[in-house]
Amino acid sequence: MNPIRKKRLYSILLVFLFSVSGISLILYSLNSNLDYFFTPTELKNVDIPSEKRIKIGGMVLEDSVQRYKSEISFIITDYENSINVVFEGIVPDLFKEGSGVVALGFIKNEIFYAQEVLAKHDENYMPPNLNLENDN
Amino acid sequence: MFDFAFKSIEEAIYMNGHGIYVWIVVTIVIVCLISAFGHYKIKLRELKKKFNESD
Amino acid sequence: MIKKFIHQFASPKTYLFQVNKFYNYIFYISISIYVLSITWGLLFVPEDFVQGNSFRIIYLHVPASFLSQSLYAAMAIASVTYLIWRVKLAAYLIIAIAPIGAMVTFIALSSGSIWGIPTWGTWWQWDARITSTLILFIMYLGLISLHGSFSNYEKADKLLSWLVIVGFVNIPIIKKSVDWWSTLHQSASITLTNKPSIDPSMLYPLIGSTIGFFGLIICLVIISSKVQIIKRESTKSWIKDYV
Repeated sequence: MNPIRKKRLYSILLVFLFSVSGISLILYSLNSNLDYFFTPTELKNVDIPSEKRIKIGGMVLEDSVQRYKSEISFIITDYENSINVVFEGIVPDLFKEGSGVVALGFIKNEIFYAQEVLAKHDENYMPPNLNLENDN
Repeated sequence: MFDFAFKSIEEAIYMNGHGIYVWIVVTIVIVCLISAFGHYKIKLRELKKKFNESD
Repeated sequence: MIKKFIHQFASPKTYLFQVNKFYNYIFYISISIYVLSITWGLLFVPEDFVQGNSFRIIYLHVPASFLSQSLYAAMAIASVTYLIWRVKLAAYLIIAIAPIGAMVTFIALSSGSIWGIPTWGTWWQWDARITSTLILFIMYLGLISLHGSFSNYEKADKLLSWLVIVGFVNIPIIKKSVDWWSTLHQSASITLTNKPSIDPSMLYPLIGSTIGFFGLIICLVIISSKVQIIKRESTKSWIKDYV
């Protein structure tokens, strides 16, 4: 490669390096703020002012869903820690015991009052009959 | 996996209520692709026409 | 010999004549693969055990998302080539690809939003994957409008190439966003290192639709670059023969 082209290559690398380091610094400083939700375990380790709106995510614990009129209560867990959630409204179709969920709301007296409940599904796709075979 | 997944055409369109989402996405993709191809084809024709006129 | 071949192919004239030979093959093969795979995926593959029929959107969403990042990577390669070797064809390709990248990213975003309604229960959330893809879309639009605002093509090409390189940092962020942060978006089902977490009966049409869509987008890039070449090389004598 002739010297002029080599110089151009170096300046490209330099510019890209600057861009990468700049963005990394920003991402590093924002770090946890970029997380879409807290897991119940993370919730234990951070101090969140009561009634501040946050999102929590995890799995809906099996056999924890209880419905009372339009109100629904369940437990979000990451199988280490868990939190009680109360929600009034319609949950998405994919909301099921044992599947992923994200709830937006606030904590008061150890209970999470959700204003919005979203279903989070995983990256596994398979036909229904195959799933039964795997279970047995 | 090569069998038709629905019992009838109506069911295939309805897809247990999810049909509307699936078919809207299909429409978006088709419209985008056709209009993109059309856009460039028309542009090419215009450019070529300009050339032939300037001769 | 390789050097000579690259030099020849890098001349807009050879490119134009060579590409014309393949265009019809690529177009008809990829459109048949795409239509077949989409039909297979939408009507013949069994429904998903969690998402039911809404999962079928994957056959339209994943190829578009994959291409939205690949096209940016292609632009970055063209930018480096242009900046180092001053290959004109590379500069034409950058601005030829940008609008197609914007369109593909739009398909990825809108199909994802629509897919989100029945599955997540929302059409838009500011999670890392969705936000970084929106940034990619805005970057494409910015590059297009910036290039259009210059009257001097050469200056525009240079500035555009530098910006493409600066913005390339977004691509690994999009790719890794689902691993680095907690997101509503699920992680990748198909990776280079692990066994796909999607059943083979659902995987084959997905591979087919990705290949078919890829081919169609290549065709779009070819005609879009033709437009750029004819526009920018209009003073050359060979163009008259071509047209």
